[in-house]
Amino acid sequence: MTQFTISPPPHRRSKISVKSLMYGRIAALLIVGAASLLLFGTPALINILAAILGAVGTELVIQLAFKQKLTISDGNALYLGLLLALICPPTLPAWMAFVGGAFAIGVGKHAFGGIGSYMFHPSLTAWVFLNLAWAQNMLPESIPITSEFSDLLYETGAGFLTDVSPILIILTGLILIATKFIEWRIPLSYFLTTVILALFLGEDPSYIMQGTFLLGVFFIATETATTPVTKNGRLVYGILCGVLTITYGYFAGNYLWGTLYALLLSNVVAPYIEVKTLPTPLGGVLNE
Amino acid sequence: MSDVIKLNKLPERVILPLKQHDGIACAPLVKKGDEVHLGQKLGDCKGSELAYIHSPYCGNVVAVEARPAPGGKSVLSVVLEPVECTEAPEFVPEKEAPPSRLMEIIEAAGIVEYYEKPTYKILKPGPLIDTLILNATFPLITRAYLPFLDKVLEGFQLMLEAGGISKGVIVLRADDKESIQAFKKASLNGKPLPVAPIIGKRHADYYFEDTDSDLIALVAGKKTYTPTMMNLLSADVMGRSLPLGYKPEDVHLSICGIKSAKAVYDAIKEGKPYLENAVTITGAVNNPKSLFVRFGTPVKDVIEACGGYRGEPGKLIINGSMGGVAVYTDEVPIVKNTTGIVVQAKEEVLRDEAMPCIHCARCVDACPVNLLPGRIAVMADCGMYEKCGEYYALSCIECGECAAVCPAKRHLVQLIRYSKLQLQKMNEAKNAEVIE
Repeated sequence: MTQFTISPPPHRRSKISVKSLMYGRIAALLIVGAASLLLFGTPALINILAAILGAVGTELVIQLAFKQKLTISDGNALYLGLLLALICPPTLPAWMAFVGGAFAIGVGKHAFGGIGSYMFHPSLTAWVFLNLAWAQNMLPESIPITSEFSDLLYETGAGFLTDVSPILIILTGLILIATKFIEWRIPLSYFLTTVILALFLGEDPSYIMQGTFLLGVFFIATETATTPVTKNGRLVYGILCGVLTITYGYFAGNYLWGTLYALLLSNVVAPYIEVKTLPTPLGGVLNE
Repeated sequence: MSDVIKLNKLPERVILPLKQHDGIACAPLVKKGDEVHLGQKLGDCKGSELAYIHSPYCGNVVAVEARPAPGGKSVLSVVLEPVECTEAPEFVPEKEAPPSRLMEIIEAAGIVEYYEKPTYKILKPGPLIDTLILNATFPLITRAYLPFLDKVLEGFQLMLEAGGISKGVIVLRADDKESIQAFKKASLNGKPLPVAPIIGKRHADYYFEDTDSDLIALVAGKKTYTPTMMNLLSADVMGRSLPLGYKPEDVHLSICGIKSAKAVYDAIKEGKPYLENAVTITGAVNNPKSLFVRFGTPVKDVIEACGGYRGEPGKLIINGSMGGVAVYTDEVPIVKNTTGIVVQAKEEVLRDEAMPCIHCARCVDACPVNLLPGRIAVMADCGMYEKCGEYYALSCIECGECAAVCPAKRHLVQLIRYSKLQLQKMNEAKNAEVIE
């Protein structure tokens, strides 16, 4: 007799999984990372590898120690390590990048409960940690200014690894949005708010349109676990990110720090935005 | 159209569950060894929501026992060994019946809607009904009925007459061009049937005023309105969305299917009880198609009529792959609300493992009724049912879109369903306390 599988509906699902979402983002960041190798060469490569090694290794150790299911193949640790390396200067010693990667996963991710449960972006947490622990080493040699179009293409005054080619981040980010790996609401509202406020305050856009800001718009701000899930909430979140970025950047005079601290602070506010933007169901609710 | 055939081959056994609707089960009128003829009443029931069971075959009763039904449970069923009918059945139609008599005929014929409600009940549910919606958004089923379009339309008019309902709307799918063409050619009392698209806020009421006709066909979006999607159907078609806990009749609407319109025609104009309907077989079979199948025919025989399984079958799904029930045996019969059968080959069967939610909000974007499915599911998982209620879990229409898009492969629909069940229990308990 034929055996039939029984299972609850739906019996048809989309092929996209957490793993494919992560590897989509990793592919985009690898392109950005490759551009930084052109300018910075071997130190950048070593830092990227060290951060990834620190991140993936820590996840492996934690999951073995606590006898959890091994999830290093889902790409999340790899992605967070790679992202961290991209927001550090190439002059950072490799062992510090390794410690940063380990901190991102150990404290930023697993101390909060693993994938999906963290309320601060683990890479940002590690970035702040590195900044406080070794402030001298985290200072970039120069602050990039993209005053010409060629700077957008290949910025030789780059500070962090990601600042080398802003146009690559825009392109990969737009491709990810078009293929629905990233949702459009946060990048759009974040970008527009920043640009409008910058124009309003008379800020020179060449200080803002840098790799770090664009990485923040397309990759860091859209980290799903640290953003509100409601549709309106995501728009509000993007606006908040923009306001904070401009606030920090305008008064601190540096949009690298400005972007990253603004995003970390926005992470704190995200749950509040979510509960304040709960949608009403179709048809509404009477008698309440 | 021409490939819609009637399944006439006699199956080895015919299984007729005595409960084919959402209500009180029927009591068997026959016992083992009895001989039954075509159209004989096999099950009788008393109460307010009932649907009689008639025999679609001639034959002998082999057993009256519990058998697996397509809903997934075992139901007391009459099992027949069918034989060829020796004499032609006598169905006597009634002429010039007044509306009250029409209602009795519809009730006696045991016609059941696609969402398991008896048809006579939805025509006069209590509150005043001003519009009857005929949901023809199942493209394959609608196409199977196109050769009988005149009868469907006449049946629909008879339903309106029986229920004293003034207006009727037929809803079609926008990508179902074949059906739209056929409805455009159809005539209604000598006049062409108005067919119009739903654009923006131009709902049915606009076209009723515009066309001066009491019966129109509307082309809705590319959506199939499954049984749980009443709220969406009434919002999309009539512009009347249902608040939480409301039924379509509370906003003066009733919803019927194309099958029951044809069945009403058969019952009134030909005197036949509800004995067969169209079933669509898709997926891993050699010759997928639509068939007219008599109730009680096991799925096995229907699949055989479609050329058998293609490859090794892995899953057998009754009524659609988004919200349907996967059954454990192909011995289950076709019943009154069976619309389609989906067969999945062994390698097509999903074997995903659920991961923690990454809050990607794809479920939020997919939800047609503006809920936060991921959040409700997490809270249902933790047993926080009151909180689920605050997030409007009861408004969920269980369409399955959220679970289908979830990258973490979480079981959103079951978790939400479970929280709905718990919330209903809690409400009942609360009401009981108030009465005490």
